[in-house]
Amino acid sequence: MLKIKNLHVKVEGKEILKGINLDINPGEVHAIMGPNGSGKSTLSYILAGRAGYEITEGSVSFHGKDLLEMSVEERAWAGVFLAFQYPVEVPGVSNIYMLKAALNGVRKYNGLDQLDAMDFISMVKEKMRDLDMDEKFLYRAVNEGFSGGEKKRNEILQMSVLAPSLCVLDETDSGLDIDALKIVSEGVNRLRDPSRSFILVTHYQRLLDYIKPDFVHVLAGGEIVKSGGPELALELEAKGYSWVEDNKES
Amino acid sequence: MSVLSTHYNDLLQHASDELTGNDFPWLGSLRQRSKDSLLMSGLPSLRDEEWRYTNISAIEKNEFKLAARNLAVDQSLLSKALLDHCHHLVFIDGYYRDELSSSQDLPKGVTVLPLSAVEKGEQETQFKSLINASFNDEDAHGFTHLNTALFTDGVLVCIPENTVVEKPIQVVCLASSNSPLSVSNYRHLVLAKAGSKATVIESYYGSQDMCYLTNAVTEVVVETNANLSHTRLQAESNQAFHMGGVYSTLEKSAMFSQSNFTFGGLISRAEIHADLGVESSCILDGLFLGQDKQHLDHHTRLNHKQPHAVSQELYKGVMADQSTGVFQGRIVVAEDAQKTDATMNNRNLLLSERANIDSKPQLEIYADDVKCAHGVTIGQLDETAIFYLRSRGADEKMAKNMLTFAFANEMVERISLEPLRHKVMDELLKQFPQTDILKEWL
Repeated sequence: MLKIKNLHVKVEGKEILKGINLDINPGEVHAIMGPNGSGKSTLSYILAGRAGYEITEGSVSFHGKDLLEMSVEERAWAGVFLAFQYPVEVPGVSNIYMLKAALNGVRKYNGLDQLDAMDFISMVKEKMRDLDMDEKFLYRAVNEGFSGGEKKRNEILQMSVLAPSLCVLDETDSGLDIDALKIVSEGVNRLRDPSRSFILVTHYQRLLDYIKPDFVHVLAGGEIVKSGGPELALELEAKGYSWVEDNKES
Repeated sequence: MSVLSTHYNDLLQHASDELTGNDFPWLGSLRQRSKDSLLMSGLPSLRDEEWRYTNISAIEKNEFKLAARNLAVDQSLLSKALLDHCHHLVFIDGYYRDELSSSQDLPKGVTVLPLSAVEKGEQETQFKSLINASFNDEDAHGFTHLNTALFTDGVLVCIPENTVVEKPIQVVCLASSNSPLSVSNYRHLVLAKAGSKATVIESYYGSQDMCYLTNAVTEVVVETNANLSHTRLQAESNQAFHMGGVYSTLEKSAMFSQSNFTFGGLISRAEIHADLGVESSCILDGLFLGQDKQHLDHHTRLNHKQPHAVSQELYKGVMADQSTGVFQGRIVVAEDAQKTDATMNNRNLLLSERANIDSKPQLEIYADDVKCAHGVTIGQLDETAIFYLRSRGADEKMAKNMLTFAFANEMVERISLEPLRHKVMDELLKQFPQTDILKEWL
């Protein structure tokens, strides 16, 4: 589904990613772990299409299409979803309105009719119940005045409404207490599906106690220095990032 | 001092039969004084401090004339302007049209009539006592002189003591498509007597692409404990010129909330002035949206003359294309006006590199125990928010429209009167090409 080949990325002249290779098949959950400044967030933003990054080499294909040629919104329509580390506050734009505009955009791209207003509302409300979110959030401005946990839950809500095929979660566990982490993780686990893949970008192993990855990759200094199964995360937790940085695979 | 162009000179000399109140000698001399002042001072120029951001030479160049009476009405324009559930006074090209107006079921003693229908006696006394009553000499300039000299009509609204007028009073001023290059001078006079409550809405509409000049002066007196809500909705033609002013006096504990929505006009200016008495409160809201080469000027002045008055002002501007906006907000707190509480905010959004805004907040404080604050922001759409919305599937144009709409909508949502809110929303939505999608928001 997603093939990243030899991806090199510069920001303001400085090379941040130095040849990333990653293959993700439908239904797989990949965790990308790494210390601060390793390029984890850059990789997330590149997949979502944020401006300000210079791709000097390599390619990314998504369902066989050149992802890097697609605009931000085309990626969203085609099924890429980035749950932000810091969800953006959008004053004046209500959650329900943004969700509706977003979903209709995706449906239109996929040749589907716009969803009936009543069906839409009841679908959203059901998903909110699953995430233990109060319905009043629907009518509040997107993320405005939300607590850290509320913002993250709101990201998962958007993800479940849009039902993307590739979910990229950037440090979703940061700033969450244990209860919120559970709710968010359950929300993600509910979305696991043989046709849907996940990239979990995280600094800590903690999130992986709740969302079991199939593969773990360690990103350090702009390269994937080690890949393995879930046990790699535990090993990292025990030995620290210096262990992989000192023992780079050739 | 500039000299008045020959054309305006002729206009002043020859108009007389079309004017209203020719039976009142006192009005004749008032008009004469304004003519003399205008002949002497001319129209404002960039050299005048209060006009340094607004070049009106395009107005001066045009040979405007008074329109003929009883021209055909553009029905579509009229229905666009009319608000449901209101008393209506309709004026076309400067003249009152009784057959289009209706103001039945007014509470006893309430006066709502066109100046052209004012009769000798009590009505005349009210007319005389209100004209120039809220107008300070320092407020006067060429356009207000022109207005006094040549106003053809306007409304006289008097709400008696302790009377509540539930239904809003809408004053509709239309420029018909049958009188190109016409100038309509309106003078509206509003008096809310002690303890009364009323809502007055002025709507200005004209056919697209028509060039004309609307020059409207409104004078307002809000007496002790009275509560007046006043809105100006300016939706003139994109090629029109609009000069408007609201000059108000607030007596003890009076409440005045004034909202100003500016969408139309090639050059438009609105002056909102208020003199605040003891414990009075004044709310000024404003929203202006400029496109193409529109120039939209807003000039507010709050004179805190006495203690314990509160004023809250928020003006928002959105400038697109090559449009220019001006906000000059001035608060003057007199020496006696202790415990004044005044806040003034002006927030602007520039949507293009060629759009421009001049914002000039001014505080002049002569009292020592006051709370005054002002803030101005001029910014662009938040790139992070645009990226966020696009990453959720809104295309770039849509994302920008959503954010712009949200910025402006804050002012529209503050309108409590539903039919008015919808009208203002109609005008707001016109500014967005993807209107149908935004409509779902409502």
